[in-house]
Amino acid sequence: MSEWMKSRLIVILWPSFLMAGMAEVVFFTFIDPQQLYLLGRPVHFSQTATYSIGFIAFWLLCAASSAATLFFMRSSAEINPQPD
Amino acid sequence: MADARETDNQDAGDSLYAVRQKVYPRAVTGAFATARWAMVWITQLVFYGLCWLPWNDRQAVLFHLGERKFYIFGWVFWPQDVFYLSILLIISAYSLFLFTAVAGRLWCGFACPQTVYTEIFLWIEKFFEGDRAKRMKLDAQEASVGKLWRKSAKYVAWIALSLWTGITFVGYFTPIREILHGLSSLTLGGWEWFWIFFYGGFTYLMAGVMREQVCKFMCPYARFQGVMFDPDTLVITYDEERGEPRGSRRKGSDPRSQGLGDCVDCGICVQVCPTGIDIRKGLQYECIGCAACIDACDQVMDKVGSPRGLIRYSTENAIKQHWGGRDILRHVLRPRILIYSVVLCIICVTFVWALATRTPLRLDVIKDRSIISREAEGGMIENVYVLNLMNMAESDRSVQLAVSGLPGVSLDGVDAAIVMPPARNQSLPVRVRVPMDELEKGSHRIWFELRAVDDPSLLIREKAVFIVR
Repeated sequence: MSEWMKSRLIVILWPSFLMAGMAEVVFFTFIDPQQLYLLGRPVHFSQTATYSIGFIAFWLLCAASSAATLFFMRSSAEINPQPD
Repeated sequence: MADARETDNQDAGDSLYAVRQKVYPRAVTGAFATARWAMVWITQLVFYGLCWLPWNDRQAVLFHLGERKFYIFGWVFWPQDVFYLSILLIISAYSLFLFTAVAGRLWCGFACPQTVYTEIFLWIEKFFEGDRAKRMKLDAQEASVGKLWRKSAKYVAWIALSLWTGITFVGYFTPIREILHGLSSLTLGGWEWFWIFFYGGFTYLMAGVMREQVCKFMCPYARFQGVMFDPDTLVITYDEERGEPRGSRRKGSDPRSQGLGDCVDCGICVQVCPTGIDIRKGLQYECIGCAACIDACDQVMDKVGSPRGLIRYSTENAIKQHWGGRDILRHVLRPRILIYSVVLCIICVTFVWALATRTPLRLDVIKDRSIISREAEGGMIENVYVLNLMNMAESDRSVQLAVSGLPGVSLDGVDAAIVMPPARNQSLPVRVRVPMDELEKGSHRIWFELRAVDDPSLLIREKAVFIVR
């Protein structure tokens, strides 16, 4: 993996990890996973599974946000085709 | 700080972080290194040990996700107690502000898990590969049996420690004895496996591989701690006036006669630095305040016969105005510190008070929506409620339930005394009846009262609405 890719990956995955941790704590403090419904049916996973899936889902969402930020931050020089 | 940011930006260029030069920190001994090792021992004895401590036939400290209950010694916290958690977070944040304003990055240098685990991992590395010079030589060597042996022994030790750290971490959320039983009988759940490897893997990655990069590029606190500094904050400082011009000299010769300062330019302060910076360039955001350079420089000063403290804890003002220790201490009590301390004290007292007066019973009333109001035999109007009774303590408790607020109001379908099981909540459907001729149509306020039999002063009142149609 190139340095460029590595640094981009870290910038996407790390802040979203921190934010997902915060979102997880706040969300599950106020909401009991046993009261959640998935596509109209009560969630029947174990608590640990629900928390884990919740965390990973938060992480993915936050990572998508970080990735979008990076994507929109590209300068015009990066977007326009470079004359060889 | 401004200088540090500029250099960082230049280094980083477009790639957001610099191409890393591996740092080989040299082991150091001295007062601050001893203090750091003491913190390593204290924090890790607590971390690895506390999950094994039993209390009331359970784990003493357990953030039981499966039950949605936090057990902390004699206390059981429920999701309703999020108030205490938030106060605890505020206390931690304020303590961090206070410590940082007084003496800089004490947290980073001595207590942060990143520092603590890096220290342990470095110790393992030194045990198998030797100190700085030997490690650099080993890395430069061609592959050999000796190198293979040393490297693999180190990696095995690192992996074992990381896995045990992962198991311990998960053991604070699922009872650790269940985890060990699950491991030995191979019945551990998939998610527990996942989190053990996740946390263990990150321990390995951060303490074994990334090290100072975590502080430099990943830590949010490292980025904003500068705003808590002021010119009276104790930071690790190189006394430029005393040290410069630096240069090597013959042992026993008088540096002043050669036009030299006290710095012998041995470079050991740079070699011991875990983030690989040169403290002689001034305060930099990379400096985690570990004071390894102080220990190292003091040893060199002892050897060359100069007074210690060429690198020392000092403040910007103290260096500028040549203050002694007493002046520095006097400036610790400045408005910023006093305000932080007062606020912290108030929050701590509130926390202790709230914890001490926390009622071990809780009552929630839910009105049955399917039966709003109905007539019962004997000319009574009846409303139905579901009571959620919660016993927060870890022992049985007998309680008496009563209702008041309307003339002739009575409870039906409930025993006078209810025994509540320890640390549980139970749902209790109850019917409340009021003589029909006593009431007008509309909604009326009533009160449910829950009184502990063993302690009549322990009384909880919860209001509800009684509807007559």
